[in-house]
Amino acid sequence: MLGRVAESLYWMFRNIERIENLSRFLEVSSAMDLDSGMAVEPWTPLIDACGDRELFQLVKGSFSAEEIVDFLVQSKNNPSSIRSCLNLARENARQIREVLSNEMWEHLNTMYWRLKNERPMTGLPSQEWLLRVRQDCQLFYGIADVCFSRGLGWQFCQLGRLVERADKTARILDVKYFLLLPHGETVGGVVDQLQWIAVLKTAGGYQMFRQSRQLSITPKGVAQFLLLDPNFPRSVRFCLDGIHQSLSKIDPPQGASEKPLGRHVGMMQARWTYTDIAEIIEYGLHESIDRLQQDLNGLHNQLERVYFQTPQSFLSPRSSIQRTS
Amino acid sequence: MLMFSNYTPQGGFDEYFAAPNQPRSCFEPLISSLGHLGLEEISRSHRAAETLLQQVGATFQLYSGDTDSGERILPFDPLPRLITARDWAWLEAGLIQRLQAIDLFLGDIYGDQHIINDGVIPRDYIETSQGWRPAMVGITPPLERWCHVAGLDLIRDEEGAWKVLEDNLRCPSGVAYYLENRRVMKRMFPSLFHSRTVQAIDDYPSYLLQTLQDLAPWTETPKVVVLTPGSFNSAYFEHSYLAQQMGVELVEGRDLFCEDGRVWLNSTNGSQIVDVIYRRIDDEFLDPACFRPDSLLGVRGLMDVYRQGHVSIANAPGTGVADDKLIYTYIPEIIDFYLKEKPKLKNVTTYRCSRAEDLDYVLANLDKLVIKSVSEAGGYGMLIGPHATTKEQEEFSHRIRTNPRNFIAQPTLYLSTVPSISHGEIYPCHVDLRPYCLRGRQQWISPGGLTRVALRRNSLVVNSSQGGGCKDTWVIQDDVSSVAVPC
Repeated sequence: MLGRVAESLYWMFRNIERIENLSRFLEVSSAMDLDSGMAVEPWTPLIDACGDRELFQLVKGSFSAEEIVDFLVQSKNNPSSIRSCLNLARENARQIREVLSNEMWEHLNTMYWRLKNERPMTGLPSQEWLLRVRQDCQLFYGIADVCFSRGLGWQFCQLGRLVERADKTARILDVKYFLLLPHGETVGGVVDQLQWIAVLKTAGGYQMFRQSRQLSITPKGVAQFLLLDPNFPRSVRFCLDGIHQSLSKIDPPQGASEKPLGRHVGMMQARWTYTDIAEIIEYGLHESIDRLQQDLNGLHNQLERVYFQTPQSFLSPRSSIQRTS
Repeated sequence: MLMFSNYTPQGGFDEYFAAPNQPRSCFEPLISSLGHLGLEEISRSHRAAETLLQQVGATFQLYSGDTDSGERILPFDPLPRLITARDWAWLEAGLIQRLQAIDLFLGDIYGDQHIINDGVIPRDYIETSQGWRPAMVGITPPLERWCHVAGLDLIRDEEGAWKVLEDNLRCPSGVAYYLENRRVMKRMFPSLFHSRTVQAIDDYPSYLLQTLQDLAPWTETPKVVVLTPGSFNSAYFEHSYLAQQMGVELVEGRDLFCEDGRVWLNSTNGSQIVDVIYRRIDDEFLDPACFRPDSLLGVRGLMDVYRQGHVSIANAPGTGVADDKLIYTYIPEIIDFYLKEKPKLKNVTTYRCSRAEDLDYVLANLDKLVIKSVSEAGGYGMLIGPHATTKEQEEFSHRIRTNPRNFIAQPTLYLSTVPSISHGEIYPCHVDLRPYCLRGRQQWISPGGLTRVALRRNSLVVNSSQGGGCKDTWVIQDDVSSVAVPC
C-alpha cells in the first residue's frame, strides 16, 4: 500500500470519528441546556474538550452559546469544526477513492453534499440535525464494516478512528472532572448526578455504565469506566487494545518489540491495562490524561514517520494530504 | 407520444423522428413508452439523476483557485441516444479496421517508414506534427500495439451516415461518465430497460484490465497501475474511478521510481515491480529525463526501462501523431496502404490548408467552413465560419496564411439531433458519439459510447467546455424481425 493511501485512510476515519464525537458532545450539551437549574453552562467546556481554547479566543469574540456552537459546527477558521472535518474526510476519500468500496465513497459524498447545500446555521443546531450527523457517521462505519476488506487499509482506518476516540473520551472526562471537582479532593462528596450522567451520555456510555456496575454514579466510577473498562468500546483501554491489535497486523509481530513504534504502543497498552483508578487519581487524573495525550501524539508522529511519508514526497509542490491536528 | 407531440426535427438528421409525429420505425415502441412518461416525469427524473451523479461523485474540476466551488457534474440529459444493433455491428467493423490500420501506421513511421519512402505522406507532415516523438523511433511496443485505448469521435451527417470527425488516440477521456450515466439511467427508468434489450456495458473495466494485462507478456501476474497527474486534475474522478473498477492502484509519478532496469512502486510494505502503466498524463510529462525536464508528474528513467521492454505504457508514447488533424486527412490512404481495403467508416470532407488549391478554396470560403488548428482539441483554436464576425475571419485568414500546415477546414456539419431537455422543453439538440475501443490481444469496442450533446439550442459544439452535456447511449438488441425494418 502506498504511504499516502495509508495516510488518507487514517485521516478519513479520524475525521469521521471527530465529527461523531463533536455531534455527540453538542447533542448532550443542547439537551442539558433545556433543563433548568444547571449549575454550570454546558457550552464552554466543549471548547476545552476539543483542546481549541487558544484558537477560539483568536477567532471569536465571546463565549456565548451561539459563538461556541458556530465555532464547533461550521466555522471555516476551525479546522476541527464539523464542516471542516467533513470537507477533509471527503477530500481524503476523494484522493483514494480507488481503494474504497463504492458504497463507502457514495455515502460520505452524499453526506458532504447534503451539508454543503444547507444554508449556514444561525443559532443553535437542532437535536435532529445533530442526530442525523451522528447517524451518518455511524452508517459510514457500518458500511465499512460490511464491505471493506480487512487488509492493511482497514488497519490504518482503525488506527485513525481509535487514536481519535481515545483522545476525545479522555478529554471530555478531563474537562468535566476539572469543572465538577475543581479541588480534586471532593471524591465521594456531594455529586451532581445530572452532570455525571451527562458525562456518560457524551461518551455514549450511560446505559453500558449502568449495566456494568449496578452502583450509584460516582466520579471515580465514571472515570474508571471511561478510562479502564475492558469492554466498553469508547473507553481508553479498549481503544488502546484495538490500536495494539491493528498495529500488530501492520508490523509483523516478530521483533516488533524492538521497534520504537511497537514498543511505544505496547507500553501504553500495558500502562492502561494494569493500572487501577485509585492510582490514577492519586497521581492526578489530569496529569494522567495529559500523559495519555502526549503518548497518543507520539504514536501519531511515529506513524507519520514510519508509514506515511513517501521518500519522494518532497518533490511534490503541494501536499495532497490534509492534516487537521 | 404525448411528450413529443410538438417536437419538430430541424437542422440535421433526427435520430428519433423521420418527421413530426413520425418516429423511426425501429425505435417506435421505445419512443412511445418514453413519450408516455411525459415531460413532467422526465424532468423530475432529470433533477434526481443530476443529484445522483453528484452523490456518486461523477464530477470534474474546473480549473480555479477555490477547490470546492469548481466541482461540477457533466450536464446530463435523460433522453437516451438510440442505436440499432445492426448499425452498431457495422460501426464496430469500421472502427476495428481503422484502428488496425492506425497501429500499422504508427509501427511503420517509428520503424521502416515505408509510407514516407513510398511518397504517400510527406515526411515533414509527420515530423512537424506535435504528436511526433523522435524518442520512439526504433521501439516496438509489446504485441506491436500502440493505441490500446482509443476514443474516436463519430458524427452522423445530414443523411444519417456515420463519419469519423476526430481520432483521439492519446488519453481519450469520458468513459467514466459513459458507465455512470448508465447506472443512473437504470435507477431512474427501470421500466424502459425491462421492455427493451439494451446492450450491457458494465464489463468495460474488465476488458480494460485484460487489455492492459496483455501488454506484459513477460509475466503471469502483471501489476497494472493507473498513473494520474493528481487529485487536482480536472479528470481525477475518472482516474480514480477506473482504478477502483479495475481494482488496481492509482499512483502519481512520485509513487514510482526506476531502479535496476525496472519500474517500482513505493509502498508501506516494501517496493513492488510495476509491469503496465495506464497513464493519464501526456507524453511530454512521462519522463523528465526524456521529455520535458520540468515535469513533476512523471517518473525519471521511465523511458529507458520502456526501451528495454521491461514496462508497458498505455497508450504508447507518440500515438498523437496519428490523431493530428492533418494526418487524419490521410487515414483513407493509410487504410489502403496497409490493409489494401476501402475504408468502411468515412472521414468528414476535409481541406488541407497545406495544399495550395485547398488553401485558396478555404480562404475564399471562410464564412462557410469550420477551421480547426490541427494541434488543439476541446473546441479550442477553432473558427465556425457561419457564426464568426468578419474580424474573426480576417484574423484566422492571417493565421492560416502564416502557418498553413497548422490548419484544416471542414464544411459546417449539421450533426444529427436527438430530443433533449433544453430550457425546460424537448428540443432537437445536436450530438456526437465517442465509443471506446480497446486493443490488447483481443479487440473490444464498447457498445454505444459517450454521447455528447450540445444543450445550447442550435449550437453545434458538444464539448463540455462549451456548454455541452452527455446522454446515455443504448444499443438496442433488435430481434430478427426488426432487423429487416429499414431505419
